[in-house]
Formats: sequence, structure tokens, C-alpha cells
Amino acid sequence: MSSFNHPSDNLEHSILEEYSIVERPEKKKKLGVLFWICVAWIGLNVIGAIFAAVLPLQNPLYENFSAINLGPSLHHLFGTDDLGRDIFARVTYGARVSIAVGTGAMVIGFGLGAPLGMLAAHRRGRFDAILTTVMYVFLAFPAIIATIAVLSFWTPRSLLKIILVIGLASVPLVYRVIRTATLNVATKDYIIAAKVQGATDRRILMKELLPNIAPVGISFLLIGVATVVTLEGALAFLGLSVNPPTPSWGNMINEARTVLASNPWLVLFPSAALCLFLLCLNFIGDRLRSHFDVTEVKL
Amino acid sequence: MSPDKLLVVKDLSTTFATAGGPLPAVGGVSFDLGQNETIGIVGESGSGKTVLSRTIMGLQPRTNVTVSGSAQIDGFEVVGASENEKRKIWGTEVAMIFQDPMTSLNPVMRIGKQIDESLRVRLGMSKADAKARAIELLELVGIPSPAERYSAFPGQLSGGMRQRVVIAIALACSPKLLMADEPTTGLDVTIQAQILNLLDELKERLKMSVILVTHDLGVVATRTSRIIVMYAGRIVETGSTRDVFYHHRMPYTRALLESSPKVSNHSHTRLVTIPGRPPNLLKLSDGCSFAPRCKFATDKCHLVRPELEPSVEPGHSFACWNPLPVNGEEPTS
Repeated sequence: MSSFNHPSDNLEHSILEEYSIVERPEKKKKLGVLFWICVAWIGLNVIGAIFAAVLPLQNPLYENFSAINLGPSLHHLFGTDDLGRDIFARVTYGARVSIAVGTGAMVIGFGLGAPLGMLAAHRRGRFDAILTTVMYVFLAFPAIIATIAVLSFWTPRSLLKIILVIGLASVPLVYRVIRTATLNVATKDYIIAAKVQGATDRRILMKELLPNIAPVGISFLLIGVATVVTLEGALAFLGLSVNPPTPSWGNMINEARTVLASNPWLVLFPSAALCLFLLCLNFIGDRLRSHFDVTEVKL
Repeated sequence: MSPDKLLVVKDLSTTFATAGGPLPAVGGVSFDLGQNETIGIVGESGSGKTVLSRTIMGLQPRTNVTVSGSAQIDGFEVVGASENEKRKIWGTEVAMIFQDPMTSLNPVMRIGKQIDESLRVRLGMSKADAKARAIELLELVGIPSPAERYSAFPGQLSGGMRQRVVIAIALACSPKLLMADEPTTGLDVTIQAQILNLLDELKERLKMSVILVTHDLGVVATRTSRIIVMYAGRIVETGSTRDVFYHHRMPYTRALLESSPKVSNHSHTRLVTIPGRPPNLLKLSDGCSFAPRCKFATDKCHLVRPELEPSVEPGHSFACWNPLPVNGEEPTS
């Protein structure tokens, strides 16, 4: 036996060392270039929307009848519409409505839906049963029909009303997602463990549950913004969003639809703006979720 | 209540209201536990040992459950206490460690933070003090380079290490009673002994009492002073560890002991099993709940439930109409 001198005395030692250490090194995960491109694009849109008035843009409402239905040029980057308005300016201003409605409605939706969902899942019992039933009754109405119905009669329409209606319509959806995510966590042993260490309900909600559902919440928030932007587009398309001539991506697509054959530029730019905006939001949401998922195996 | 008793349980019952009727998960359990004592609660799956331990902790669902009887931890009556009242003893008087360390740590919180929390909230320590104490605790439970592990996530630790962290959390506010609900079931055998020895050592150092809930008699054999054997929610035999192992009177205890694998057996020896299945708690008979599986059962066993009665040794009692003879054959191990 002793003659069989394996050259692995050292090797064995190093293997042992490697495996006896229980820690798996915390690898720095990278978000990737594409993520930052998407963030930059969303940032650009937001900055454009906020500072549209001070940017060197043409007046989006100015009707220049000497330059109608123009293609893209240096003077009119995205061309002009059938009233001679500058499309580039209108797309930039249109971001205002879309982003305001998207974020505003989600602030309302999450502001109400998320705390209620977490509380219901944490407390369970009668409180949960009643609240969930009420929410499911609201969910039974298709959100788009409900918003169309309310907005048709609640005139004159304003941005605030649109935000409020869409925001309230999204509450049951947010409630359902957050409640399910919380329920999934609330039944885990570590929540009971925190409880028997004497943690108060508020502490369990804020410190134990919230960080665990945050990844789901953030993804749903971003996807929610995207959905609401689309919904606003649909409402605008039906003429139920902000009143023309105020531009929004939705009503621009609607107006351009009628001249699609003669001036395809018109529908291209607002559609592309909407499309890119949604794509970037979804991508960011997905990336963030997987990035902050410390439970995902990192091997 | 004598002052040296940390825990006094009297006639404790937990009944769940189910669609099939009331389900008596724990029925009429009485026992007590002294300071710095370790007691073992053993029984098969479904014998009510987990429900018993959770009832003593005061952890029941908010609805569909009735608890009667009394469980006093250091004079505090748990039965009927509100969450706010129980929060005063949770952590400081009584703490719990769980079966599966994979699910009993918050995966998105650094382990140091999880220990810190109760130190800062319950004991009002400053941030720096709590961190120092947390690192001390990590060291106490045998975690190598605790200062570095302090900021690790649970996902970066192995099962055995996680269970050590769980123990560190439980010990943070120096509880007098530690409830260990199958603390080693989720771990592999080599780690089991380490964790159990650690618990033993900590119990001596910190002068705690421990309730060790398990289905593995090997786990309780050398570490407990007394054993409670449960079947279908009731205590069927209790006594000193020695008496339960060597002078048991209840056939169920014998069957349980016989079904543990023994080192002295030849390899490929078939494991002894207890024939039949644990009874359906919704359809308990008036008789002894073990009777349908017992080879000594008589008609009386099926009709009248035996109560706990004392055996010859002090503190040893059993519930059986046809007990095994006193000083019956020692288990062949």
C-alpha cells in the first residue's frame, strides 16, 4: 500500500479545502449592456416628456399648411401630418400623456392594491375572505369595458380623470398578484420563525414579506405601466383619452390610421415610440427580477 | 406549581374543525419540564407531536381550532393568550427551531441581519452592539469565520450551516425554553450528530431547557432525561429515558423501538415495521387507539381507553390494559 504513493496528497488536500468550505462565492451578476440601453431609452423618453416645453422643439399644435404630409427631413425629423404639424414634436409631447397615465395609474393601483394584498395574505381569515371576494367581483368586469363606460359619461375628460379611472381599475389586478405572491411567502417557516422571535405584524410585513415579494412587485409594476400605456393608447384610439389636439401616442396612431395609405410615416413614428417604450419596460422588468433573485441558484 | 418547573402542561387538547368533523390532534396531554432539562417527544408521523409543540408555543391558526387545558411557560399561561401577550414571551422565554433549515431562513435577508433583528428590537441594542453580539452567536454555534458569514445570504450556506444559523437566531434573546421540532430531520446523518451535540452543549452552557421533538429514537436516546411517547395525539408512555428504553410497558413503545435499525444487525436485515397505519383521527374508537395494530389487543382494548397509570419505577407511567411484564426482556441491541 505504502509503495503506491499517489501524487495526490496535495491534490486531496486542495479538493477537501475546496469542498469543506460551505460558502459559495457571491458572484457579481451583471445586468448587461442591453439592460442599460433600455434604461437609457426609458430615461430619454421621460426626460423628453418632462422638458418638452423647454427643448428646441417646434410647437406640436402649430399647423403649418405650407408643409403638410411631408416625409422625414432635416427640418422635420419625423415629417409632418396632414395639418402640417411637426411629428417629432408631437411624439415627444405625446410621451407626456402616455408616461403620466402609465405611472399615475400604477401609483394608484399599487398604492391601494399592494398594501391590501399583503395585509390580506398576512392576516388571512375573514378579512382576507371578504376583501378577496370584493376584488374578484370587480375583476369580473373587463377592465377595458369598465373604463370605456366610465370615461364615456364622465365628461369633460381630463388627464387626471383618466389616470384615476385606469388606476382604480388596476387595483384588483395588483391586489390579486401581490396577495398571491405574499401568500406564497407568508406560509414559509421563516415567517413563523420571525413571529416566534417576537416580531410584530408591521415588522413581518415590511422586513420579511416585502423584500421577498419585491421582485414580483417590480416586474408587475413595469409590466403594469406597459399595459396601462397600451390601454391609454386603446382609449385614445377610441377617442376616449385626452381631447385632441393634445397629442398622445394613441390618438396620433388613431388620426394617422385614416391616411395610412397616403402617408405611412404618420403611423410609423408614434407606433415605434409606443412599441420601443413597452419593449424596454418589459425587458427591464424581467432583468431586474432575475437580478435581485438571490434564491436563484448561482452556479 | 413548583418554582423549579419551567413548563407545566395540564390536560392540553387541540382540536381542529374540519369538513369531516372535529379532529382531535392532541388530546389530554399533561407533563412538566424542569429548568435545564431536556425532554424528548417521540411518535410516528401524525401522532400529534408537532401540533403539541406548536400549541405549547401558542402557534395555532387563527380559525377552526379549539385549544383547551393549560400550558404555562415560566408562569405565563399560553392557552387563550392574545398574540400581543404571547409576543412578550416569544424569543425571550421560549424560542423554536424548525425542521427544515432550507425554509426557516429568509432567503433575501443576510443572515447577520436576521440575528440582529431580534437583538435590536427585543433587547434594544445599538446597531454596533447587535452586530458584535450576532457575530458572537455565530461563533457560539460553530460557524467558521463568523465575521465574514455575517453578511452572507442563506443560499450561500449548506444545510448544516443554515441550521446552526437558525439555532443562533433562536438563542439571540437567551430563551429559557428551546423547542426543537425535528431539528435534524432535514439534515444528513453526519451533520445530525453535530447539530444535536451542539444543542446539548449550548443547553448546558446557557442553562436552557429543551424539548426535542422527533420520530427518531436514536436522537433522544442519549440526550434527554425523560421521554414522552405519543400515539394518535395522546401520551401512551412516559418516563425516564432509561425506563422507556429498557422497561417499557406499552406495546407501541416496544414496536417503535424494534423498528429502529440497529448497528448490530447483519446487513440486509429486513427492517421491522409496525403493521397497519396510524388511526384516522376523525374516526377514533372509544378504545385504545393502538389496539387495531397491537398483537396483544383484547376486546377490552377495543372498547375502553386505558388512562396513564404508574409503573413500578418512579415517574414512569403508561396507558395499556395488557402491558408488557415488568422487567421484560431488554431490547436486543
